[in-house]
Amino acid sequence: MSDAPTELGELTITRIFEARPEVVFECMTTPSHLTHFWGPIGMSTPLEGITVEPRPGGRFETVMVNDETGEEYPTNGVFVEFDPPRTFSFTEADVAGGMTTAIVFNDLGDGRTETVTHQTNVPPIFMSPEAQAGLETSFVKMDAYLATL
Amino acid sequence: MANDPLSLTFSALADPTRRAILVRLAEGEATVNELAEPFDISLQAVSKHLKVLEAAGLISRGRDAQYRPCHFEPAPLEAATDWIARNRQIWTERFDQLEQHLKRMTHDKEKEKRP
Repeated sequence: MSDAPTELGELTITRIFEARPEVVFECMTTPSHLTHFWGPIGMSTPLEGITVEPRPGGRFETVMVNDETGEEYPTNGVFVEFDPPRTFSFTEADVAGGMTTAIVFNDLGDGRTETVTHQTNVPPIFMSPEAQAGLETSFVKMDAYLATL
Repeated sequence: MANDPLSLTFSALADPTRRAILVRLAEGEATVNELAEPFDISLQAVSKHLKVLEAAGLISRGRDAQYRPCHFEPAPLEAATDWIARNRQIWTERFDQLEQHLKRMTHDKEKEKRP
């Protein structure tokens, strides 16, 4: 696993799976598969709380349940792109001002798949090349400062 | 645009001038005049930026009506970086479990193949 450095407001996670893109894509977009792995450690994602409408504009909803407290964490995503087995993306309007998650499935040609998951909650208007260049230089300084706190 | 604290932090940080102001304030408090100096923008423009930063809780301002020096407040920035770290953790664990799930699928398939 290799992770790109994290900018504020952005997250990129790269993983390699021992399965073909069709299989990994299906796992990530099918409720009967999602229920086995969607909740992080200590959380379950019951099948009845998962909704996948596999098309742009379709719903992508899950309810994660804390195994100890029973507390529920619903996520309400809407697919932006749905292009099996290459990519899908979804937005969650109610998270940090509208978070978008895009996952690209790269066929490594040897039965393995590299997934690149990119999350951003920076509104698109701020994602221009100029804004990005500004982000990088300023955040380097900001990170240096934060390290001293 | 949503106005929960995280959204306010991220949208306040999305502007290069505001980030430059914060970097300056991280070195110590400053007045509006001092903050405007390195930028080619009006005092009014700087004041607007300060209002956005103040709304996001990233700066506080002194009570002295005339100078009102600005202070950097790191807490919202820490909340933003914490949130990113938590989110990364969730996805890492999720993918760890997907890996296990894929292994189980392969294992079950191989079992089926056996006579």
